[in-house]
Amino acid sequence: MYGGGYIHDDQKKKPEMQAEDPVLLAEFEARIARGEKIEPRDWMPADYRRQLIRMIEQHAHSEIIGALPEGTWITRAPGFRRKLALMAKVQDEVGHAQLLYSAAETLGKSREDMINDLINGKSKYSNVFNYPAKTWADVAVIGFLIDAAAIVNQVANSKGSYGPYCRALERICYEESFHLKQGHSVFVYLATGTPTQRAMVQDALNRWWQPIMHFFGPSDKMSQHTETLMRWKVKMASNDDMRQQFLTMYVPKIWELGLTLPDPNLKKNPETNQWEFTEPDWNEFYEVIKGNGPCNAERLAVRRTAEERGAWVRAALKRADQHYVTPLA
Amino acid sequence: MFNTDTLNALRRLLLAMADDHLIIGHRNSEWTGLGPILEEDIAFSSIAQDKIGHALGLYSILNEQLGEADPDTLAFMRNETDFTSCQLVEFPIGEYDFSLVRHLLFDVAALIRFEDASHSAYDPLAKLARKVKGEIKYHVFHASTFVKQLGQGNEESKARMQSAFNQNMALALGMFESFEGEALLVQQGIYKGEAAIRTAWLGEISAILQEAGLQMPDVDKLEPVYGGRKGFHTEFLQPLLDEMTEVFRIDPAAEW
Amino acid sequence: MNIQSLDPRVTRLGIDAEEKNPDQTLQREEHWETYQVFHQKKRGEKHSSVGVVHAPNAEMALLFAKEQYARRGETVNLWIVNTRDVLAMDYDDYDVFSTTPEKMYRDPAGYKVNEKIAAFKKAQLDV
Repeated sequence: MYGGGYIHDDQKKKPEMQAEDPVLLAEFEARIARGEKIEPRDWMPADYRRQLIRMIEQHAHSEIIGALPEGTWITRAPGFRRKLALMAKVQDEVGHAQLLYSAAETLGKSREDMINDLINGKSKYSNVFNYPAKTWADVAVIGFLIDAAAIVNQVANSKGSYGPYCRALERICYEESFHLKQGHSVFVYLATGTPTQRAMVQDALNRWWQPIMHFFGPSDKMSQHTETLMRWKVKMASNDDMRQQFLTMYVPKIWELGLTLPDPNLKKNPETNQWEFTEPDWNEFYEVIKGNGPCNAERLAVRRTAEERGAWVRAALKRADQHYVTPLA
Repeated sequence: MFNTDTLNALRRLLLAMADDHLIIGHRNSEWTGLGPILEEDIAFSSIAQDKIGHALGLYSILNEQLGEADPDTLAFMRNETDFTSCQLVEFPIGEYDFSLVRHLLFDVAALIRFEDASHSAYDPLAKLARKVKGEIKYHVFHASTFVKQLGQGNEESKARMQSAFNQNMALALGMFESFEGEALLVQQGIYKGEAAIRTAWLGEISAILQEAGLQMPDVDKLEPVYGGRKGFHTEFLQPLLDEMTEVFRIDPAAEW
Repeated sequence: MNIQSLDPRVTRLGIDAEEKNPDQTLQREEHWETYQVFHQKKRGEKHSSVGVVHAPNAEMALLFAKEQYARRGETVNLWIVNTRDVLAMDYDDYDVFSTTPEKMYRDPAGYKVNEKIAAFKKAQLDV
């Protein structure tokens, strides 16, 4: 679900990309330009491999961590229908993590290395999950609006160049459509319900709006780096474009229920057809990425604990003669 | 077709089954996102969802055929002493060894119950049982595969499995607590009765433990933990219900 | 001091908030091997490759494949194969296939006789 549009890259500070054999590089780029997919055992530039691993891995981490905010309310979902739906939805997030780790593994990084990097704080995940899910209505806002944002990102990425990632995204996008419907349903029931329910969802919206505006990341600085990633169909759309798409599709759905958003400047300019809004606080964004958000420590501690406490199960079943090889597809 | 006493006994049976499935499904859902490995996390969540689904099916019969309240009301609005689940299902999830062992002990019994119920003289129960017993067959396959493999894994997993069976067998026997009117249900062919289910269950569990290289505890030396069917529960059920119903009770009349 | 979470399940985990052990590492191959999964939707259709599962052995792999790849929609059958046991061609050898599309002698479209039949009929009429 939670392909956070913003891919954190420490190595952006290094402007030069690795030099590659010009003939192989030209063939590789021609293949991509023709709309063909790159498969795991193809020759690929080292930077392409590195960027894809980073992107897919961060997406996978976002899914497994993303299971935690809504997981907060699994035991308290009101009524059978919501209980079953939330269990299935959070289960899907774990399922998406599995699909994405598998796709990243085809590029040569083991699942163990990826999870270690997550737990040790080296690899990032979508910032939005470092915020707390304080009420049942938060489940509605996350399930509706954050899934919606993720879908914008995933649909764009599903047209990318790397075969295994595209195939994983196809499956994920299909399941996401259930998530969106489910989230929107809870959202609508609360918004059209009792005064208490309405107040609950309005409060959740007020608290989540800034993290949602942060979701796609700051405006892209067009650099050679970004340009290369777009030519290689690793990055498929600009952060700003995706944010605009999201606002166009979903702000009306919030306003049609008579709910408000905590940004008095939010409006669509009829001349430019672009949404205008108060620039979110990007300092907060970077602070949270660094690890100083409200829930970062807890999210990682939970993941670490789950791995630790499950270690005996994995060790007991591991065969002495097992020998892992990079998966095929 | 059935007299009042029989119908009351039938209500008790269905309610006990429904309550068991709701509570164990709820407990097992607590593992979602926290499991020992991604693939198993996903599997265990499906099993939990199935159990909640089975509870819903049973509560629906109580509501639609036997004049009881709707499923949400039955599940989210009753008091702790009205629940007739066995005490086994209310315990916290503990570590994965406990949850897996509980999963095996409960699901083997559930499969026997639902296979029997698929021939029930009470048609709504027979219909439900025929529909869902395939799911339970898979649950038992999952549980027994894990128990057998962990029982033969390494020293630690063997010890954990054995210990979990030793410590929880008496609790599990509490699943077969008798209740008022049970004999009528047996007489009328509605189900085969707790004693028969227990006997079949003991056979199955012994066989699985043997294949797992584990010792079957001597049940003759154990005192089954009864009380659940009469509404007597451990200190764990009330907090569980408080948590489960926290949002619903904000406004039970609201549509969530 | 344990982590007190908004999620009661997490509070119950009893995680030490002070634990300074960020170097917790998974060892190599702790998450086992992978098995490729093949899914058959309906009888009569082909099995398709749908992804992988991590599993300690074939039995578990099948169990996990059911959960991950047959949770929705229709399924009648699943196969799993240890990734180690799959021998795959190199994409670099794709040139082995480059002339195959041109081998029209193997293709129904390589056999056109309509012109010959039309010419024959015309010749018959001219007689």
